[in-house]
Amino acid sequence: MNRHPAYPKGYSAYPRGSSAFSISPNRFQPRSQPAFRRRRQLFQRLILLGGISLLLAVFIFPSWRAAILPAISLGLLHPSSDLQLQTVRYYDLSEVQGTEKGWERGERVLMLTPLRDASSHLDMFFSHLRNLTYPHNLIDLAFLVSDSRDDTLEMLTTMLEEVQNAKDPKMAFGEISVIQKDFGQKVQQDVESRHGFEAQADRRKLMAQARNWLLSATLRPTHSWVYWRDADVETAPPTILEDLMRHNKDVTVPNVWRPLPDWLGGEQPYDLNSWQESDTALELAASLDEDAVIVEGYAEYATWRPHLAYLRDPYGDPDMEMELDGIGGVSILAKAKVFRAGVHFPAFSFERHAETEGFGKMARRMKFSVVGLPHYVIWHKYEPSVDDLRHMAEMEMERQTREREEQERQLAQQKEGSQLKAQDLTNGDAAKGSDEGPAAHPLKDVKGSSNK
Amino acid sequence: MAVARSMRRTSPISLVLAALLAFGFICFMLSPSTPSAATAVTSQQRQQDAAEHPLSPPTKPFLKSQPVRSDGYKAAPPVVHYDLNNLTSSSNSVMNGERILILTPLARFYQEYWDNLEKLSYPHELISLGFIAPKTKDGNTAVSALEKAISRTQSGPIDNRFASISILRQDFDPPLQSQDEKVRHKLSSQKERRESMSRARNSLVFTTLGPSTSWILWLDADIVETPATLIQDLTRHNQPVIVPNCFQRYYDSSERKWDIRPYDYNSWIDSEEAQNLAANMGPDDILLEGYAELPTYRTLMAYLPDFSALDPHRMVALDGVGGTALMVKADVHRDGAMFPAFPFYHLLETEGFAKMARRLGYAVFGLPDYFVYHYNE
Repeated sequence: MNRHPAYPKGYSAYPRGSSAFSISPNRFQPRSQPAFRRRRQLFQRLILLGGISLLLAVFIFPSWRAAILPAISLGLLHPSSDLQLQTVRYYDLSEVQGTEKGWERGERVLMLTPLRDASSHLDMFFSHLRNLTYPHNLIDLAFLVSDSRDDTLEMLTTMLEEVQNAKDPKMAFGEISVIQKDFGQKVQQDVESRHGFEAQADRRKLMAQARNWLLSATLRPTHSWVYWRDADVETAPPTILEDLMRHNKDVTVPNVWRPLPDWLGGEQPYDLNSWQESDTALELAASLDEDAVIVEGYAEYATWRPHLAYLRDPYGDPDMEMELDGIGGVSILAKAKVFRAGVHFPAFSFERHAETEGFGKMARRMKFSVVGLPHYVIWHKYEPSVDDLRHMAEMEMERQTREREEQERQLAQQKEGSQLKAQDLTNGDAAKGSDEGPAAHPLKDVKGSSNK
Repeated sequence: MAVARSMRRTSPISLVLAALLAFGFICFMLSPSTPSAATAVTSQQRQQDAAEHPLSPPTKPFLKSQPVRSDGYKAAPPVVHYDLNNLTSSSNSVMNGERILILTPLARFYQEYWDNLEKLSYPHELISLGFIAPKTKDGNTAVSALEKAISRTQSGPIDNRFASISILRQDFDPPLQSQDEKVRHKLSSQKERRESMSRARNSLVFTTLGPSTSWILWLDADIVETPATLIQDLTRHNQPVIVPNCFQRYYDSSERKWDIRPYDYNSWIDSEEAQNLAANMGPDDILLEGYAELPTYRTLMAYLPDFSALDPHRMVALDGVGGTALMVKADVHRDGAMFPAFPFYHLLETEGFAKMARRLGYAVFGLPDYFVYHYNE
């Protein structure tokens, strides 16, 4: 079997010329690379392209960002970043106990002010606010605007915005909440009906309800102190927060008086709700119906309690303390833990008391300390009562008749002798001035105890 | 072969195709987590409901990024208005988008409790949670377990996330170290224990209750099973205070099957005997339910269910309530109703709360045939 038909004429030692099948085994050829190294460039380009397209996609669809970012970081870096919301808060209440040097330890104070038809007081109130020496960023403000028929809300909003956007960064306060809630005010708010005896129980319960709504909506786990302050305080030291805080008591109230026109005696105790309990009052309470409310300062309930207001000595030590059972609400500094424990302003008859007096009672029941400062005084604004207004109108009329008489007398004198005209006029003025002085009017009947 | 290989390497078409493929692949990978239409709406709603500043009610989440003033200072917190006149708490709570705050005094953490909470069908963006735990070893363990569960849920699907969660550590020590069932239920230790519980509950509710909360659900940490529609079912009655019946599942070894038995005896209708007992007590004495030393003969809701004809909508007026599961309109707490940490009409904690709510003019009801289940220790 001839197996070599291609070489019929014998063997050739060298290939002849270029043939079609030049495998050329004798030429150098590089060894083929491993698959990965060979395609490295391709992989690099692929990754690059993929990255760019992903970036583009993220830029084009912002809504994707939220979904893609955690996927890339495998959810390790941004556990809840997709909504850019912080949902979990952690608080340790033992860090917000309240100490005597709150301003040094950065303790937050919640300042609460209930408002109703109070636009006339707001200017005064905000001047007090701006002057407060306690670090403003540590004070959270909360207001309750209820059953207002004037522009309290609008005024309040503008003034708050102004304070928050003030140039001085130290002027701005912390959290600011304006709560609106109408309680269907059944009781008229003018001075006369506000202080009438019959209306007191219902009025106090409604006030208590308003205070509780304000407190419960704005008290936070970050607060160490709660300061209640009425808008109609005319004069108070700008250091009042520090002054009350220094006593380091659970509940502290200053003495509240009000200035009066000279013909009424110049000044008067205003807040009669701060008192110590008496045996007479306890007996009285036991004899009353479950829903009755004892209100202080009315002849109907003679309680014979020692009042903080009457203990004032203008030259007394302002740091002196007095234990109290019932307190007034014009200015109360309390540790936040008192409210956290559940003490509130009873909107029902609690041991025959409601609102701030009931608050004092409940705080004592839960073994918190309640003190008043008899010689540390803040001044409530004087709003003339209907009686006062009538009396003032009478005085004004008297003054006018006197003036008229004076003028008539002058005219008569002028007729008598025109040469003394100039001298007469000056005499007349002097006489008029003394007529208006306090000595000219014997005090009609100095109004008895104030009735808040 | 060499030619073909080099062609494959350089062809631009293949590169483009590969890029397209990679892009499509990424799209495919991410598509399940891209927000669907429904989720997009709730996350937008969540964004809008959030507070601008960290100084805000704990019932609201807040934006992480904070604005800066033109002069470089951090912008002051904004003036925020809350109109509580428009706040409703009605029988149609879901439709009205009423916010609910679920409050839990945390002694121990049970995974079943959390799982049950997650299963609630009420829209989660309307649910805020509040916990308070003592600063003890047990408390630390419970809180760390809780935080783990929270971080899982709050980074999970957006629809399952709760609006906000506050964890509080209480500022006083619990009087009793042992959470052991026997010690816990001893009559002598009850007064102290319940006074401390009252303080914890009050601390929790008065610091977390926000201005936009409509309802408050008190739910104990050992309630491990409720209907998923618990919130809707309790709010639909539109009552200021309403309490379901708290039972417990147990294995009846004689019958060799699982059965249920009453657990919470604090929901009751008052009796003359109890009134007389109270009338002869000192001001600091308390009346407790479920102890032989104090036979009160009150009608207990635990014994009211009629198992032959259960009607989950049946309501009875109550005088005292238990706190294992308790739905309260936020207005009741806002008016001042709290858990007395002192004998209030000789009652403490949740029973005293019911009395105070009634003193404030609110009605208190129970659902004897509607059950929630307590953990079996």
